[in-house]
Amino acid sequence: MSERKAFSIDVGGLKSRPKQSDAGTIAKTDKAGEKHGFIDREPKAKRGRKPSPRTGQVHAKVLPLIQEQIAAEARRRGTQQGVIIEDAWELYCKQHGITDDN
Amino acid sequence: MPVVTIASPKGGAGKSTAAVILGTELAHAGAAVTMIDCDPNRSLTLWSSQGDIPSRIQVLSDIGESDLIKTVKQHDKDGAIVIIDLEGVASRLVSRAISQADLVITPMRGTTLDATIGVRALQLVAEEEEALDRSIPHAVVFTMTRNIRSKQHNGIEASLREQGVDIIDPSLIERVAFAALFEFGGDLRTIPPQGNMETAQANAQGFAEAVYARLQGEAGESAA
Repeated sequence: MSERKAFSIDVGGLKSRPKQSDAGTIAKTDKAGEKHGFIDREPKAKRGRKPSPRTGQVHAKVLPLIQEQIAAEARRRGTQQGVIIEDAWELYCKQHGITDDN
Repeated sequence: MPVVTIASPKGGAGKSTAAVILGTELAHAGAAVTMIDCDPNRSLTLWSSQGDIPSRIQVLSDIGESDLIKTVKQHDKDGAIVIIDLEGVASRLVSRAISQADLVITPMRGTTLDATIGVRALQLVAEEEEALDRSIPHAVVFTMTRNIRSKQHNGIEASLREQGVDIIDPSLIERVAFAALFEFGGDLRTIPPQGNMETAQANAQGFAEAVYARLQGEAGESAA
C-alpha cells in the first residue's frame, strides 16, 4: 500500500472573500430565500404575558352588579380584584371550617 | 477566514457527517476550526459531547437565525475556518448561512430524491449570487456512496456535471468509521478501530484536501 501524503494547511493562505451583513443585505437574502421556499421556521415565542409564578388564575363570571361592586371595592382599597376574592375565600373557609389540611 | 456552509434542505443527506469529517481533518492539518451547530437536532453538539474535542476545534451550539451572522463575524479570525451545519429543512436560516459563505457544500446521496431536493440549495445559491451581486462558490459532495456505483448515481452525477455543477472528488463512501464518530466523538485517529480505518482516513483526508483546494480557489473555479 502506498504511503499517504501528509496534509497540512498553510493557515496564512486562508483568505476570506468580502461579505456584507448589513440590514439591506439580510433583507435581500431573506427575499431570495423566500422565492425558493426557504422561509422563517424559527420556533415562535408564546404570545401574551408570562404566567406569574406567585399567583394563579380563577375564571369567574359573576352578575354585573357584583362585578361592579368588586371592582369598586378594589379601587377603593387600591388593590387588585384578586385580593378581594382572596379575602372572600378566607371568610368562606372560616365560615365552613375549611382548613389547608382539608 | 473562509466560511463553509453545509446546506441541503433534505434531511439525512449526510450534512453533519460531512461537517465533522471536514472539521476534524482540517484541524488535524493545522487549521483552527469553529463549528457552528445550527441544527435543532444538535448533531454536532452530540458529536462534541461524546468524547474529547480534537485540538484546534471549538463547537458553538444552538445558534439560531438571529445569532448566526453576528456569531460568524465574531469568529472572523485570520487562518481559521468556520463550518456551519444546518438542519435539513428549507429555512431562512439556510439562506442567511449561504449569504455568509465562502463555499457552500451540498451533501447528496446518489438517489433521485436526494438530488431533486438537494438541487434546491443550488438554486438558492444562484438566487443569492444574483441578489447580493457576488459569486458564492458551491459544490456537491456525494455521500454514503458505494464502491460500485448505481446507474442512478452515475446518471445524477453526469447530469449535474453537464449543468456545470462542481462535484467534489472523492465522494464520502459509506463507512462504519464515519458513523462511529457520533458514537465515540473525537476524530478518525482517536476512535476505536471500525472497519478499515486506513481507507476511511484516506477518504476523509481526500475530501478535506479537495475542500481546502476550493477554499484557496484552486479547484472548482471553472464549474462555478
